[in-house]
Amino acid sequence: MKMCKMAVSKTQIDRLGDRLKGGSHSESDLRLLEDYRRSFGEAYKAVVRTIRQREGSPTGRLAKSTRSIVEKLRRESIRLSQMQDIAGCRVVVANIVEQEQFVAYLRTDFPGASVIDRRDNPSYGYRAVHIIAMISGKPVEIQVRTALQHLWADLSEKSSDVLDPTIKYGGGPDEWRDFLTKSSESVAAYEKVEKATSIVVAAYEAMVTAHEEFKTGTAELLEDDLPDHEVQKIRGELGEWTRKMERAEQEVQEIRGKMVRLWNVNADRLNKMISWLDKLKGQKQ
Amino acid sequence: MIFLIEYNRSEGRIVTFRDFDDSQRREAEDSRLEIELDLKRKGLDHEVVLLEAASKDALHVTHERYFADLRQMLESAVKTNGTGVPRPTIGDASKCERA
Repeated sequence: MKMCKMAVSKTQIDRLGDRLKGGSHSESDLRLLEDYRRSFGEAYKAVVRTIRQREGSPTGRLAKSTRSIVEKLRRESIRLSQMQDIAGCRVVVANIVEQEQFVAYLRTDFPGASVIDRRDNPSYGYRAVHIIAMISGKPVEIQVRTALQHLWADLSEKSSDVLDPTIKYGGGPDEWRDFLTKSSESVAAYEKVEKATSIVVAAYEAMVTAHEEFKTGTAELLEDDLPDHEVQKIRGELGEWTRKMERAEQEVQEIRGKMVRLWNVNADRLNKMISWLDKLKGQKQ
Repeated sequence: MIFLIEYNRSEGRIVTFRDFDDSQRREAEDSRLEIELDLKRKGLDHEVVLLEAASKDALHVTHERYFADLRQMLESAVKTNGTGVPRPTIGDASKCERA
């Protein structure tokens, strides 16, 4: 199939957007939209290539679906030419520490990129970091999500598909909306602890290394013919080290326990929603 | 790899699924357009999307919603807690792993 290669003006794109929004678009409009989407191809490829160099595993969305474009035009006061997520990709990382690291990489790789951090100010519960990189004047959206943020987003999206399309924007059945709100908050709380844990664990690991070095150094000293009071002093310091280590270890265990408790609360919620879904299905049959 | 997905949102199921080599990007884009034109003629409102991922498994990780139903997704989320150990763990270097 041959595509039109003529340059399309911003005005033509926005008029196309108006027709899409109004539902009056023709087959030639779909072809024009396709041409517009393809114009993001090189920018998209450059972004994905850069992410792969950072050992990220992006899933690219070569271009936004027509349906998603139409919905966004109807939902927001935005022109088609202003849409920044025509092309984009998604990177899911294991946890919030990796997310921060990956976002820092992207800030370096795409200086001047806009960073939309929805973690502290979620959009209807949706939490993630979006980066809009501009490549030769074309925006490409990079969604960086932790595995938990992604899990939440997937559940929100899927339930919008099959239960109620307004769920993604705060609507839908009370039970489901309540579940999404609370689970988003609890993922946020969990990730806050996760971030704190990484600091405590790093400090603990540094302490373990320092302790080992101190033990090795003092073992050599103790082999020398030291006066009794020096030996006592070294043994005292070793004892103090051991106590510090035990306290730090306990702190790490406590914080991990807190993470387990937070996660268990979420698991209870998930189980409740499985029962709720089954009940809903039973009522429909 | 490039994946072409035609998805019926209200039924939450895939209608068409095709994969293409990276070198077949143009063919994939043409196929998507053909599906969109066909849907327009039939008056159907499906989501037609082209996604690019290292493998089908990687695609499942980032776009599970196309492949699983809502109950399966909830069950899968609960299973991550099966050991009582919170996931993901700090220091887990693996990328793109489902919690």
